[in-house]
Amino acid sequence: MTTAVAPAGSSFSAQKLAGYGVAAIAAALVLYPVFYLLQAAFDTGDPLVRPPTAYGLDNFANLFNYPQILLNTLTVSFAATAMALIIGFVMAWTLARTNVPGRRVFEQLMAVPYSLTPLLGALAWSMLGQPESGFINQVWRALGGSDHLININTPYGIAWVMALFEGSVAFVMIAAVMKSMDPSLEEASQVMGASRLRTALRITLPLVVPGILGAAIFVFAEMLGSFAVALVLGLPNRYYVVTTAIYQLVQQYPPRIQLAAAMGVSLFAVMFVMLFLYRRIVTSGSYVTITGKAFRPRVADVGRLRYVLFGVCVLYLLAAVALPVATLLFASVQKIAVAFPAADNFTLANFSTAMSMNAARSALANSLLLGFGTATIGVVLMGLLAWLIYRSRLPGSGLIEYIVMFPKAVPRLIFAFGMMWAWLVFPLPIYGTLWLLLIAYLTVFMPLGVRTISGVMLQIDKSLEECAQMCGASWAFRTRTVTVPLLWPGLIAAWLLLFIASVRELGASILLMGAHSKVITPAIVESYFATASELTATLALIQTLVIALAMIPLVLFTRRLGAHAGD
Amino acid sequence: MQATATAGKPHIEVENLEVFFGTVPAVRGVSFNVMAGEQLTLLGPSGCGKTTTLRAIAGLEKPSSGEIRIDGAPVYSSARNVNVPAEKRGLSMVFQSYAIWPHMTVFENVAYGLKVRRVGAAEIKEKVDQALGMVQMRAFADRRASQLSGGQQQRVALARAFVFRPSVLLFDEPLSNLDAKLRADMRIELRELQHRLGITSLYVTHDLEEALAMSDRIVVMRDGLIEQTGTPDEIYGLPRSAFVADFVGSANLVRGKHRPDLSKDGMVALETTSGQVMYGMPHGRPIHDELVMSVRTVHFQLSPNRPGASLNVWPVMVEKTVFQGDFSQVHIDWGGTRLIARCAAMEPVEAGAALFMMVEPRRVVLLAPDAASESSA
Repeated sequence: MTTAVAPAGSSFSAQKLAGYGVAAIAAALVLYPVFYLLQAAFDTGDPLVRPPTAYGLDNFANLFNYPQILLNTLTVSFAATAMALIIGFVMAWTLARTNVPGRRVFEQLMAVPYSLTPLLGALAWSMLGQPESGFINQVWRALGGSDHLININTPYGIAWVMALFEGSVAFVMIAAVMKSMDPSLEEASQVMGASRLRTALRITLPLVVPGILGAAIFVFAEMLGSFAVALVLGLPNRYYVVTTAIYQLVQQYPPRIQLAAAMGVSLFAVMFVMLFLYRRIVTSGSYVTITGKAFRPRVADVGRLRYVLFGVCVLYLLAAVALPVATLLFASVQKIAVAFPAADNFTLANFSTAMSMNAARSALANSLLLGFGTATIGVVLMGLLAWLIYRSRLPGSGLIEYIVMFPKAVPRLIFAFGMMWAWLVFPLPIYGTLWLLLIAYLTVFMPLGVRTISGVMLQIDKSLEECAQMCGASWAFRTRTVTVPLLWPGLIAAWLLLFIASVRELGASILLMGAHSKVITPAIVESYFATASELTATLALIQTLVIALAMIPLVLFTRRLGAHAGD
Repeated sequence: MQATATAGKPHIEVENLEVFFGTVPAVRGVSFNVMAGEQLTLLGPSGCGKTTTLRAIAGLEKPSSGEIRIDGAPVYSSARNVNVPAEKRGLSMVFQSYAIWPHMTVFENVAYGLKVRRVGAAEIKEKVDQALGMVQMRAFADRRASQLSGGQQQRVALARAFVFRPSVLLFDEPLSNLDAKLRADMRIELRELQHRLGITSLYVTHDLEEALAMSDRIVVMRDGLIEQTGTPDEIYGLPRSAFVADFVGSANLVRGKHRPDLSKDGMVALETTSGQVMYGMPHGRPIHDELVMSVRTVHFQLSPNRPGASLNVWPVMVEKTVFQGDFSQVHIDWGGTRLIARCAAMEPVEAGAALFMMVEPRRVVLLAPDAASESSA
């Protein structure tokens, strides 16, 4: 037999080269924009001169001159968090712990609101609830009411739409807490002679409170960073929350980059603290952990109340899914969107207009192209990253995990802001092109892709790869013949998720797209502000259809895998 | 075959091997050789470093210092800065989890190592066929792994490991996931196969019976150190330390003072605190003032009448007996010390009975201190 003597340093060269190369790319993608974001936030010199001539905290001090934005943000976030938690808790309790009819079906349907995107909800609810033209208010006046029944262009209107969509996130988190509680803990209480009420108050409640608190913090952090709903419903009344204010400060002329950067850094810092708190609460202190094994919770017979709860579930899905989709469908086939159908008002022209309109068509084409590009490059990059972090045992992989997961804690709008600033000075002329968007998508969706692939990777027994190595296969050969084929379902799931996320991306795209490189979601928003709502509805539907087409194989795939796909 | 060609020469040499996981030592300076064609077993409780040692030899774990040589050539050497990757060490391995690739058929699984070596299709067919025949799995060639039972997966893993004629086979607790009956059968099969192939093999297990039944030599490990190396007979009959005596089957440990005045005929005499005297063999081990001796439970003989022997005969009381099927465990009050004897269930003894207990001095083994406690002291 042969025993080649190789020095330790060069023995894994292909492996090490691929590993460190990919780590360097990931670190550059994440850290380069963050650096420029921080630089702008602390830049107190002449805003037109780069690199900065002076540094200081003036931009942060300047934030106190805009108390209204802080107040607006807190009002909307608190209201939305409270509503989302109520929705999440009621739905979770109903579906996990009561004998409401159709539990299984409802549980499946709870995933739909989140995949419809908050933007779609905001557009639809805008058509439903504007004080003048909103369908609901039209009906209200036709029934003899005066003025308007609801006004969606208010802080509570914004919070309502946000809560409808974030409610399904709260549901998932709270339901997980309820399912991870060992039912024998409650049974023990009853065996000791405690009544059902006493058991609920003394056993069940204390056990689920930490989990619900964790969900509250997580949802609140998401609300602070949310953008689309406040943009669509708040901008018409010049009602700004922090994300839309940043957007406005960057887009206006002259832009106020330094102030926007300080705002972004502050928001990011607050979110970071909240997510840190969330992790603390979830991983320690609580008796019930979300990651623990799932039990079959005890189902309580709630008698007649089950029909009331059934109604509540139907109402929620109506408000979050059926009504918005129906509204957009209805608006898209009308010449002028009004509440009451009239034979001569129906048309299919909106669809042909949308498909023939140059701006819309190229935006859709660009989005599909970017979706394919992001997903394809992303799967390779993020697959290698997942392998590097969880399998390679190369030194420094823990640090790489932190860097890769970092974009998760930053709203995409703010990340894109740093990126815009960073790539403006980059020697390659990619600013304002699709390349910049591709880089942006690869960066902000890195946590999504890495988490999806690593979820499957960690299920693969490590000895399957080691065995190939013992059979004499080189790193490249065993990656091709063993690792990749075993990882295939995870890679396909990641590809579809990245594609969907790219096609519906708004926060990063709206800042980074150039005049000749428009993409579909910002184009829908532009159309909403600039043109008629019928055309907007049509574009939103077309986008939803594309996403739905990609979603079908994803759902089939992930169901067969039994793996959770992330968001 | 290899075994006859290079018999008697060390095939694998491990020298002062140390492996750290971060700052935690898993293997703390281990040296041993595996002779060509030999079956050597690393035996020890979980966490003793046996699997880590095996994986370091395989190249799957990077040691922190020491040297590993295969056929005299270093594959790892901290001094010479050599670390040959696992795929280039020419070894093969059977994994605890079998590691059958679920996306390939049985044939493809076994053919993998040959494909890596760019063997022609016809030859692959022939060799895989032959290997599957040796493990009686020829009929399953087109099955997928998910359609195989645990025992069948085990056979496929075995065929895959030897089909490309590696010079060494490494086994990482290959039988631990099988049920007791199948494990006993596979033990015999593995041993026969190893003899037929004449292959050098290094085997890791925590199962004493497995180690005794399958090995030419056994290395007993504990806390990252070697406690004893020897043939199965030596390990069982002449345990070096209290740990080996206790881990390798059931043994009574008797502690007491050395009585040089009573020692005679090459035997050592030990006196317990309660004044009982027991004679044993020193086997060249250092004789200190405080002694520990080991007696296997099977070596005590109980009888109602005083036996003829003059040494190591005591009147004792039976505290209780525990029926365990083929045998009974008898708890003896030996002058205030509790000892355990094993008796055939055919001859029951009653609790409270007064009997004579005897053990031949050659069955009483003087122990040396544990390697692990010695190194930490």
